Amino acid sequence: MAVRREKAERLADEELMPLVGRKDPEAFEVLFDRHGGAAYSLAYRIVGDRAAAEEVTQEAFISVWRSGARFDAARGSVRSWLLSVVRNRAIDFLRSRAGKAPKLTFDDDSALEQRPARERTEEEALQRETSAELRGALGKLPGEQSKVIELAYFGGFSHSEIARMLNLPMGTVKGRMRLGLEKIRGDLAEGLA
Amino acid sequence: MNASDHNRWSEDLAAFVLGALEREEAAAVERHLEDCSRCQEEMRWLQPALQTLPESVERLEPPPQLRQSLMAEVRADARAETAAERPARTRSWGWLLKPAAGFAVVALLVAGVVGYEVGKDGSGGGGTTVERQVGGINVKMVQEGNSGTLQLAGVHQLPPDKVLEAWVEREGQVEAVPALFVPDREGQAETRIADMSGVAVVMVTEEPQGGSDQPTGEPIMTMAVPQ
Repeated sequence: MAVRREKAERLADEELMPLVGRKDPEAFEVLFDRHGGAAYSLAYRIVGDRAAAEEVTQEAFISVWRSGARFDAARGSVRSWLLSVVRNRAIDFLRSRAGKAPKLTFDDDSALEQRPARERTEEEALQRETSAELRGALGKLPGEQSKVIELAYFGGFSHSEIARMLNLPMGTVKGRMRLGLEKIRGDLAEGLA
Repeated sequence: MNASDHNRWSEDLAAFVLGALEREEAAAVERHLEDCSRCQEEMRWLQPALQTLPESVERLEPPPQLRQSLMAEVRADARAETAAERPARTRSWGWLLKPAAGFAVVALLVAGVVGYEVGKDGSGGGGTTVERQVGGINVKMVQEGNSGTLQLAGVHQLPPDKVLEAWVEREGQVEAVPALFVPDREGQAETRIADMSGVAVVMVTEEPQGGSDQPTGEPIMTMAVPQ
């Protein structure tokens, strides 16, 4: 039997998940009301279009509704799990829109020239990451570190793709990712992020 | 494992956490993580940094129709699940005789005498398509085998607390179609009817969020289904 909305509102996310797993719409609605805004904002940040962000968010939450049992409390909070589902959906959407398989396989300039749609997508992504206003912990990083992290997390690009886009050695890209995440982590530990 | 071995894997961990390794590289890191407690510890240490990234984006208010449409689908799912767990319930046409629903009777009678545009669809799959215009709404009923898709165009926007609910009449009994639906911004709405066998009439009403056990208002469209 479904719990009443008032009762569901008093439950922690981790307590709502078993109810969602038993197909309780009230519990699910509370979950959406708590995290739907962050989910939609993240989807919009990745796909760059409100209608697409709406579609991605809805698909992500429906997948959570239909597979709520997959949440593993040992691996993090409900919110971070939900947002990772949204992020993955949004990246899949970007890739399907670019009309390509999940990861690039070409590795030379001539192949790149044969992929105009993908090339445009990369240019758009670079432009978006450059122009986006950085907030929170990410905004405190040096630009060279935040850019590679944003291209990976919000653009769904691999380190080798980013290396080609920025004309950098792959080791440099991985190094900047690591330095950036360590800096954010260090700030978190010091309560600065 | 010596220190340089560990450092080599350690270099990849940030890219791994960000999902930025190629598939084969990621698989290799996963295999290494199974046996390397130092890398496991580093992974756990980096995870909170990853979790700040989605929180760093500019916060937008989700559009109201997102919640409306999502919850309509969720409630329809829950209703279908409940229905599957209990014997099928059917209802009589008695409600049609209520004054508030008089329009439905008229509409059904009209549907009985107005001709249909019936044709085979273009997919080559042997489906049947019926198209009509009812009260300013373009109605398209596509039947494929035993199931059907009801497509509406020109539907007015609903208040946030309302959804569309479809009903079918089968052997003189009215049954609710489990999937509730809402029109998009262009006024297009679509729902699927899983079992079209014996269905004589399809109707759509506007209902409160979560749907109703019986139609509570005048239908926005009714259509007789050619047998």
